[in-house]
Amino acid sequence: MEKILFKEKLRQWVDTLNDYEVLAPAFADSVWDYARVEAETEIDLSHTNTVNPPKQFAFPQREVFFRFERVDGVPRLTPTVPDPKPTLVLGVRPCDGRGMPCNDTVFSKEYRDPYYWARREKLTLVGLACNEPYAPNCFCQSVGGSPHSTEGLDVLMTDLVDRFHVRGITEKGLEVIERGGDAFDRVKDDDAAEVEKVHAAARSRPQRPVAEMDAVAKAIREQFDSPLWEEMARHCIGCGICTYLCPTCHCFDMNDEVTGPNAGTGERVRTWDNCQFPEFTMHTSGHNPRGDLAARLRQRVAHKFLYFVENHATRQCTGCGRCISGCPVGIDIVAVVDRVTRS
Amino acid sequence: MMENVYLPQIGRIAGIREETQGARAIKTFQVEFPDGDAFEHQCGQCAMLSVFGRGESMISIASSPLVKEYKQFSIMKMGRVTSAFHAARIGDFIGVRGPFGNQFPLADWKGRDLVFVGGGVGLAPMWGALQTAVARSQDYGKISLFYGARTAGDLMYKADIEALQTSVAVQLSVDNPEEGWQGYTGFVPANLMEKAPSSNNAIAITCGPPIMIKFVLQNLKALGFADEQIYTTLENKMKCGIGKCGRCNLGKDYVCTKGPVYSWAELKKLPQEY
Amino acid sequence: MVNVDELRSLAAELLEQGQVRSLIGYRRGTAGVLAEPCTIAAPGEAETLVWDPTCLNNLALFLVEERKQQAAASAPDKRPVGVVAKGCDSRAVSVLLQENYFKREDVFILGVSCEGTGVIDPRKLSARLKGRWPTRVEFAGEDGFKVSAGGDETLVPARELLADRCLECREASPRLNDVLFGEVVTERGFDEPFRAAKAAQEATEDARWATWERHFDRCVRCFACRAVCPMCYCPECVVDSTTFVNTPGTSAEEKATRIRWCERSANVSESAVYHLTRAIHLAGRCIDCGECERVCPVNIPLRLLNTKLEMEAFQQFEYEVGRDFERPSLLSSFRDEDPNSFIR
Repeated sequence: MEKILFKEKLRQWVDTLNDYEVLAPAFADSVWDYARVEAETEIDLSHTNTVNPPKQFAFPQREVFFRFERVDGVPRLTPTVPDPKPTLVLGVRPCDGRGMPCNDTVFSKEYRDPYYWARREKLTLVGLACNEPYAPNCFCQSVGGSPHSTEGLDVLMTDLVDRFHVRGITEKGLEVIERGGDAFDRVKDDDAAEVEKVHAAARSRPQRPVAEMDAVAKAIREQFDSPLWEEMARHCIGCGICTYLCPTCHCFDMNDEVTGPNAGTGERVRTWDNCQFPEFTMHTSGHNPRGDLAARLRQRVAHKFLYFVENHATRQCTGCGRCISGCPVGIDIVAVVDRVTRS
Repeated sequence: MMENVYLPQIGRIAGIREETQGARAIKTFQVEFPDGDAFEHQCGQCAMLSVFGRGESMISIASSPLVKEYKQFSIMKMGRVTSAFHAARIGDFIGVRGPFGNQFPLADWKGRDLVFVGGGVGLAPMWGALQTAVARSQDYGKISLFYGARTAGDLMYKADIEALQTSVAVQLSVDNPEEGWQGYTGFVPANLMEKAPSSNNAIAITCGPPIMIKFVLQNLKALGFADEQIYTTLENKMKCGIGKCGRCNLGKDYVCTKGPVYSWAELKKLPQEY
Repeated sequence: MVNVDELRSLAAELLEQGQVRSLIGYRRGTAGVLAEPCTIAAPGEAETLVWDPTCLNNLALFLVEERKQQAAASAPDKRPVGVVAKGCDSRAVSVLLQENYFKREDVFILGVSCEGTGVIDPRKLSARLKGRWPTRVEFAGEDGFKVSAGGDETLVPARELLADRCLECREASPRLNDVLFGEVVTERGFDEPFRAAKAAQEATEDARWATWERHFDRCVRCFACRAVCPMCYCPECVVDSTTFVNTPGTSAEEKATRIRWCERSANVSESAVYHLTRAIHLAGRCIDCGECERVCPVNIPLRLLNTKLEMEAFQQFEYEVGRDFERPSLLSSFRDEDPNSFIR
């Protein structure tokens, strides 16, 4: 289903979804990030990209699995599987959209994660095509994506200056468009051509080039023991920026957080974790299979471009560039894969 | 209601046996499921055991699947969660999630000799397979067990091993000379080399400290065991147990789902990051 | 102007003659306009060194890493490490010397003067360029910075692009150095020291708490602020339940009884404990390099927490962090003239 949404009617559409929790990019504290759309919010879709990707809406930083307490000496567990309101996220870039199917695979393969899916099933992602790369580190096209990819999205909007072209992709997407009623107008004859023109122009804008994407997986395998990794990881400070900001990184920790006066009352909590933290893989004995920076950098890059490919026949990187722009010391995943393939 | 793979069942500690003492003490726990809903498991699989308020640890299920009354776990006191287990008493309740991981391919091993080689607490992950093979001894050839520890006091399952002497060729060892010790004195790999079990139509299963595994592997190869004839079971830091938290992988394999059981033929293809 | 060729020559010479075992400096980054840290060991690599207003990193951080590797090495190379240091970076080295983290002879400081200005704030730069991407930023004396973007070159007044901490900087030149490149410019026409912390104090207590509650809620606990701070060198961080050093000798009891002062959950209470405890642990030690704030992905104004405490250190004890490495550190010393009205 295709429609036209004149920009001044965006709010009208959003208002018809009054039973949804709506999130949109907002510029605050000098960064773009998702914020709840309230009655007085002026929705602004002129963003580059949000600092946090939309994975947080299905896989939040903190998720309580269950509460535990003691009743007559026996532990009683109260699962806390979320039951969220239907959630609509506006302005999702195609690179972020493409990240969601990767997460869907992780959280369903072999075992289905009920917490992720409780949120994911209620999540509708309204994408916004990129008319040009929003950052110097974009490389979506090198990893099989595009500035107007619909993968992982429920709706794709394209900015045509005074209006958006709106395409419904999934059932969820069609539903929210239907709800919009007369906020939408019919697509005119030249609209299709205009959209195609905008998309073609976006595709032709140069992005960060990746030398030989197809050779990366094999190169990583062959260069596994190369001293290159140590050199490239030399200045890594072991923070969590690259992984937390990544649309597809999903590592997590599980801990019991005691909330009562003794250990018998508390919550089992999942929080984001990060393969770059030094103690990520450390055994209780002190033995650490990935005890040095080189091994940890290699793990992240290999996971994205080799292991995920071996397991699921698709790369786990969508070229959003956040890890590159966010790294405090300039470690650059594109430069890393280029060096590995050229060796 | 959708099954929640993160939600433990409640189990009750029905039996505790002190195996070894000292800084790295080992205790064996037998866990019953009061509501009668014990899960079925296969040899080699593990379970996530919780002490609520302290955390969870992935522990091998030591009992054979043929034992229905309880599940057996042998836990070494290492840190936060395992210390909580060591402080537990009979009647205490714990959380159990499982079974996780793959299994020893016992069906494939029918008709073959089985050589179990273990060190320290490494006997526990293989114990279920050993017991099952003994119970089904008509399906297997000669079964032998090479087992050793630093001192006689560090040997686990002493009484159970005694009981096996009629069906299993047991070769015990102790690393250093000890007064009163009748068995072999020296490291497990050396004992193995000396007794030289035949590799003809045999399968070797080994588990123990990494350094022991390294030399056992070397010696098994020297004795003529092919890569496909050697099996081991791995451990890694684990949190979710279901291949999602991202930390226990060896290359593309999450040890909690694709392992912990590996043949050397499979294991050598993976990055040696363990 | 700092003569970058001279800097490169000296670096090459030091490495050639084996006077330093390696040299930490800046080089062109691959990921945008900012320079990135590099550690060179071969004299030929000295050519890649750069010095411009995008040299944001506090390279003293990597001295800490070097020191840790030395401690773990079986046959350590005892020669000093060379490091390119701005004013703030040299003050960080000063604090590390004060705390005996390493000795003066373990480091050879190639000081670079910011010559009256400083380094840029990348967020201010991108806001100014409105979607155009900068390719180069160069020093242009007191007038400001020469910014190249999309084929154009503009001269931007310094005040518009300078990092906030540079606006308040008292000494944009490394007093502690072995060699100094560039002119020492003492007059700086920007803000008074602690201006931002003072301004933040004006709000009511409730308003201030509401602001910080919001910031702590936004924190994702990536720990980049701690990871990038040269003074946060503790192998075990008291407020992180995961940075525990386990050796084969650590007993089960020790591991079992470690207190979790702060949970991993990224909610207001835990994040507040993390940030506030870290700020207090840096009191009298923070040299306001501003890196914590620069690297924060959600732009939490972390400087405000630290500069408030440094302001107090200055007002109460006339203590300027990193000024003199031979002076005892603030919290490990007591002078008779220290305020003592609280003693009854």
